[in-house]
This record gives sequence, structure tokens and C-alpha cells, in this order.
Amino acid sequence: MPTYTDMTRCDGCGECVDICPSDIMRIDPVYRRSYNIEPNFCWECYSCVKACPQNAIDVRGYADFAPLGHKVRVLREPEKGVISWKIRYRDGRLKEFAFPIRTTPWGSIKGPAEYEKPDLSALNSQLLAHEPAALHIDALPALTAKA
Amino acid sequence: MMFTNNPFTALTDFFSPLVMQVYLVLMTLAVVGGTLFDVYHKGSAKFFARRKEKSAAAAQRRLGGGETIALAVETIAEAAVSSEFCKWPRRVSHLLMMYGFFLYLISTIVMVFAYPGAAPIPAILPALWTIGAWMILVGGLWFFFFLRVNVAYDGASPFHLGRADLFIGFLLASVAFALVWHYVQTTYANPTATWILFGIYIFFTTLLFVTVPWSKFAHMFFKPTVAFQRRVEEANGSSDLPSPSTENYIVRS
Repeated sequence: MPTYTDMTRCDGCGECVDICPSDIMRIDPVYRRSYNIEPNFCWECYSCVKACPQNAIDVRGYADFAPLGHKVRVLREPEKGVISWKIRYRDGRLKEFAFPIRTTPWGSIKGPAEYEKPDLSALNSQLLAHEPAALHIDALPALTAKA
Repeated sequence: MMFTNNPFTALTDFFSPLVMQVYLVLMTLAVVGGTLFDVYHKGSAKFFARRKEKSAAAAQRRLGGGETIALAVETIAEAAVSSEFCKWPRRVSHLLMMYGFFLYLISTIVMVFAYPGAAPIPAILPALWTIGAWMILVGGLWFFFFLRVNVAYDGASPFHLGRADLFIGFLLASVAFALVWHYVQTTYANPTATWILFGIYIFFTTLLFVTVPWSKFAHMFFKPTVAFQRRVEEANGSSDLPSPSTENYIVRS
């Protein structure tokens, strides 16, 4: 089930080229739109489908085993923290699902280098890095010894 | 001087205003003919007609005339500010080029048709012509060297040229030589240099318009068509995309 790009929707932003783990989404040298250079190597991870801001990428089944017009379409709404799926079955039924993907704003997760350098004494702590603040709690629950 | 002088006045020593007017008409015909050929060659009209039929068959409700007009107005408003672009640098560079091109083109047409020969001209027209050319140059060079997707994402050299660069390449060459020609014409009294630069300017301008069937020029027309069709599909329920989520899951800052 390799990906393909709807060239009328694609605006050549390059997000799919950036995210493809197989490195098979490339830019067409003639039309300057994205395309899948090696469909056999596509493992249908849907990364490009979800990343495409124009919803220009779709995935199709090989004609020998999926000939009856099923379809799976994805809509990513980072501002709401959700990815929705619309599935059209071979008998024409439609189903929609919405999956929350995160609870914090898009782009708000800090990389390790963006935090302050930890104190060496933190090595003796049982807390992991950035706990408990990163867990949005005041303190981790702990067992207390009976008096 | 560049901002107040009509660049085409000096040409009337050698060409009659009619020659310049005929040239502009020929270039317009080249764009119309080239676009129609592009639409025919790629089968774009057939593609859009089939897509429209599919959309009508899958529609859950029919759109009224008022609703369709409102969608068309929304599409035009979207195209006017290039809001279909998801990244601001591409959007700003396209806006610079689009409005620069409009200014440059309209002021050229007005100067050649409404003020032929040495007729006195409002100072605003050459100013708009020069500003438009600079806008194209700034937006175009930014796009060409830093924002072209094959350069920014596919690892191609900024000096790589391909068929997809026909339009931007000739556009940049045309306005760059237009500005240089205008500058030399107004600053130095060197007729030979002026005519050589004018020849190069006309050469690239002609190439810009006659290569429409092979360049990306036609995307200015079919992109808004696609955007309109997408809005219609979303409105009549035939879009294959999931409905936007009604819930917001971002609950933490």
C-alpha cells in the first residue's frame, strides 16, 4: 500500500521529504511536487500522510488484493492535539475515528539541551530528569514507613 | 530618476508606440495560447470535470447559488493573501512576487497604451513599475536560493536548474535586466550599453511568456480552481477527509 501525491493539492513544501523514514518521498524534478520514488519500499507508516499540511498524500492498496475501492484518509489538527481517520470500507460504509495525540501545545516540548544543566547531586536522586515538574505534579507519590 | 522616468519613452526614437503595443498583445496571446495548450496537454480540464462529477455524485447536499458564490469569494480572498501556504517564508516570497508582478505588468501596460511616445506621465507609474520589479527581484531571489523545495529539502544545489525553474528563472532575468537597463538609461548617456541591455531584457521577457506551456506559469490559474473545488467538496459533504474534530485535547500549557 504505497503512498502517492495528489499533485493538484501539493504545494511543494517538503514536509513529507523531511519526515519519511524510508527516505523515498522526494521532489519531482519537472513539476517540483513530491512523489514516492520507490513504492516497493514504502512501509505504510503514514508519517507523510499525517505530516502533509495540504492533505495531498494518500495511500492506495495494490490492485491485486485491494481492488474494491476502500480508502483511509487522515486529518491532523495539531492545534487541537488530534488526528482523525475516515475509513471507507469496500461495501461503502464510512466510519470516522478521532484519536488524541497530545495534551500540550504543538512545539512546546523542550529538547534536553533547552533545560538548565542539572546539578551533579541529582545523580543521587531517585527522580528521573525533570521530574516531578515535567509530570505536572508537585511530588511523586511515595510509600511512607509506618510509625 | 529611475522612479520618475518612463522607461519606454526613449524607445520611441527607434520604435513607434504601435510596435510596443503589438509586442504586448503578442505576449498576452502567447500566455493565453500557452495556458490553453498546457490545459489540453495535461488533460487538466478533463481531470477537473471528472472530479466535479465524482463530487456531485457523492454530495450529501446540494449547494445553493449564494453559497457557491460565497465559497468563490472565500477562495479569491485566500489566494489574494496566499494563505494556502503553510510556511510564512514561502508565503511572503510568493506575495512579494505576485503583487510585484501585478504592479510591474499593469504599470507597463498603462505606460505603453495610455501614454505612448513622449506624452507626459504621472510620476506614480514609473515608480510603481520600479517598485514592482524590485518586489519580484527580492521575493524571487529569496525563493530561488533559499526556499525552492529541492534546495531546502532535497539537497540540490541553489544553482541547480531544471524545467520547474523556467518560470522563476526567466522572470528574475527579465526584471533584473529591466532594472539594469532602466538604470543605465537614466544614469549614463551610453546608447550602445542601453540597447544591449534592452535586447537582453526583451530576450528574457519573450522567453518568459512563450515558454508558458513548459513552465509553471499555468499554476496561477489551476491552483485557485483546485482550492475552490476543495471548498465545494467540504461544503457539500463529498470530501473524503475526516470531519474536523469538535474537541480540543490541548489542556496544558
